[in-house]
Amino acid sequence: MTTTLEELANGRKAKIVRVAGGRGLIYRLYQMGLTPGTEVEVLSNYGRGPIVIRVMGTEVAIGRGVARKILVEPLPE
Amino acid sequence: MDYHNSGNQVESNKRIRVAVVGQPNVGKSTLFNVLTNNKVHVANWPGVTVEKHYGTRRYRDREIEFVDLPGIYGFSSLTLEERIARSYILSGEPDVLLVLVDSLNPERTMYLAVQALELTPNTILVFTKADATHARGIHINYEKLQRKLGVPVVSVSAATGQGIEELLDLIVASAEKEEKKEPIRIDYHELNPYIESIEKILSRYAEVLKYPIRWIAVRLLEGDHELEDYIRKQAGEEVLDEVASIRREAATVLKRDPVEIASIRRFEFISSILGEVVVKTELKHVPVSRLTRLFYNPVIGSLLGIAILALIFTIVFMVNTGFPLNALFEALGYSELATLVEEYSLSGILDYALNELGNVVYDAMGDTMLAHLVVDGILGGVGAVLVFLPLIAIVSLALALLEDSGIAPRIAVGVHNLLAKIGVSGHAVFPITLGLGCNVPAILSTRGLPDPRERLRLILTLPFIPCQARLVVLLALASAFSRYSGGLLLLSGYLISFFVFASVNRVLYEIDRRKGRAITPEMLLEIPPIHRPIPRVIWWLTWNSTKHFLVKAGVIIFSLSIVAWTATSYTFSLTYTSDPSESIAAAIARSFAPLLSPIDLPSTTAWIVSLALIAGFIAKEIIISTLLIATGADSVRNAIELIWLSDAQIASIAMFTVLYVPCLATLAVIHSETKSLKYTLLAVLLMMVIGYASMVVTYWIASAIM
Repeated sequence: MTTTLEELANGRKAKIVRVAGGRGLIYRLYQMGLTPGTEVEVLSNYGRGPIVIRVMGTEVAIGRGVARKILVEPLPE
Repeated sequence: MDYHNSGNQVESNKRIRVAVVGQPNVGKSTLFNVLTNNKVHVANWPGVTVEKHYGTRRYRDREIEFVDLPGIYGFSSLTLEERIARSYILSGEPDVLLVLVDSLNPERTMYLAVQALELTPNTILVFTKADATHARGIHINYEKLQRKLGVPVVSVSAATGQGIEELLDLIVASAEKEEKKEPIRIDYHELNPYIESIEKILSRYAEVLKYPIRWIAVRLLEGDHELEDYIRKQAGEEVLDEVASIRREAATVLKRDPVEIASIRRFEFISSILGEVVVKTELKHVPVSRLTRLFYNPVIGSLLGIAILALIFTIVFMVNTGFPLNALFEALGYSELATLVEEYSLSGILDYALNELGNVVYDAMGDTMLAHLVVDGILGGVGAVLVFLPLIAIVSLALALLEDSGIAPRIAVGVHNLLAKIGVSGHAVFPITLGLGCNVPAILSTRGLPDPRERLRLILTLPFIPCQARLVVLLALASAFSRYSGGLLLLSGYLISFFVFASVNRVLYEIDRRKGRAITPEMLLEIPPIHRPIPRVIWWLTWNSTKHFLVKAGVIIFSLSIVAWTATSYTFSLTYTSDPSESIAAAIARSFAPLLSPIDLPSTTAWIVSLALIAGFIAKEIIISTLLIATGADSVRNAIELIWLSDAQIASIAMFTVLYVPCLATLAVIHSETKSLKYTLLAVLLMMVIGYASMVVTYWIASAIM
């Protein structure tokens, strides 16, 4: 079951499936380690404001619009 | 310089050129300062306004020049910074390339290193923050990594100095060794056949292609506009068409974008190598991380962010000017205590010292014209500005602390929702905060913003953020308030500026949105771990911005003070006059004075205000020095008394000052960043109209209530 990064609750982990979006965004996300197959953990998602995730040991703040373009597969809790 | 390094032989006594590259937050600027002993020069990269930092150091009879490349995540050519870094490495100018890898987070930060190794084999991998690895339970086998990659690997700590000498030895050895190496080859699995086909096509043009063929092939497969242009120029359009069809075929057959596959394979390459050389022992999570996550809460975060910024600025003002402590004491009825706080504030002490110095000059030189030039022109002009040096230094220190501790990006996340209401993202907190110091770096720092329209709106509105030069003028004018507390003026100056900044942004955002050109503000920002700031780094950051102010005060304001003194001391017939109202400057300024008629200035002295405001176009500090020089007063308070200004008039002039064009340098940078005369003029128009309107309205309101 895939969903978007925006939908993931606090503390959930997921695997990135695909990134939809323009070339510039895709490159930047890949360079920051958000490639398909990578595991991410949501550190904070309050329903509004940026979502903060941990990816490859680094915390990254992602706007909701961008998070909506990142398709993920939630991992079992 | 007739220096081109085609071979590897570099004789001793020759210059070794070293390029330093790394991802953001890997500790690049810190290491760069250590390597160059903080003797850093700043220039621009050719043709662009991106700053180029470089510095040299002598080591074992060699002159090593370090060039700091912009902080980038990869070599894709999508951003200006990536293109600058890439073309400098490919130019063949650097003998050695240092790629920095964060030893606390090698998996992610190695990505740039791997791309660099595909580009050039003359690379040294530098693992930073070596002092912190053991505390975090990270152990890296550097020798094994070195063998696997075939390039030197060294671990250093800028904080303790560990590994720096070893790195310098490696640089000398790498620059002087003879053997010719090849860039590394990464196994791109399913992409390999396509890369090889492109390589085959390109090898026909090996003569004219100066870059590694395999690297070009991989980049072309990923789609790289800059390299496509290069191929078109060197090999022709047909070659590019052939490559394009291979690219299309790869995408169709593999059903995925080659960019995605290439990125994944690079990360796989990294993890397969690191898996053999990195050992992590699981440690307890650092407790501070939970607390700092409070910033991520939309409500608490914005409150926390604003509170921190407000607190810093309150402390800074208090140390320097006594405000708001003096106002508090005054309000409570302890006026003696308030005076004491003011007198012993840093600017109070400096003010006193400069006055004494003026008296010494008069005692020594007598009442001569030269003495007048020195005391009224130079000491008066430059001194009036230098009084605020401590203020500049402390604000710079505060900003440096925010930056180096990792608090700044957390504030950006915290205030994102708030800033989104005026159409900008959390990223904008950096330009805005920087703008409180100086608008020029603030406008330059908007480059980090992902959305170009948002960036343009910020460039047009950032000049409304009151910089320290305007703070200096505000403080000086506030000191001349006769019936009301100067603190009131200061506070309203800042509040109105922020209000104007926010409203104009909101309006521009609405306009963009109606035209369908605005997108919802977004952010994408790496947040480094909170850490204790390194004193040395703080000192460098503070000193660099303070130095900038000192040079400005020293050179520009010094010379303009002399010009202003001459223009106010000589008549059109070039005879000296002790009455400035007969001077050249007065005549010019008088023709502009009618513009100030809405604020009812006394007709005899209106030209002084007019002159000061005209001079303020060049730089805001000059308003003060012009007021002092034109009136011959020794303090702004005294000058204002001589011009006969009421509190309402002071307030209205202050509002105009904080809102109109900050300085020529800001205009120049608006022009260079937008590359548009239209937008530069629009910025000027916005500032002049809003500044003028605020001046008139302030005067009406203030005269009604005061």
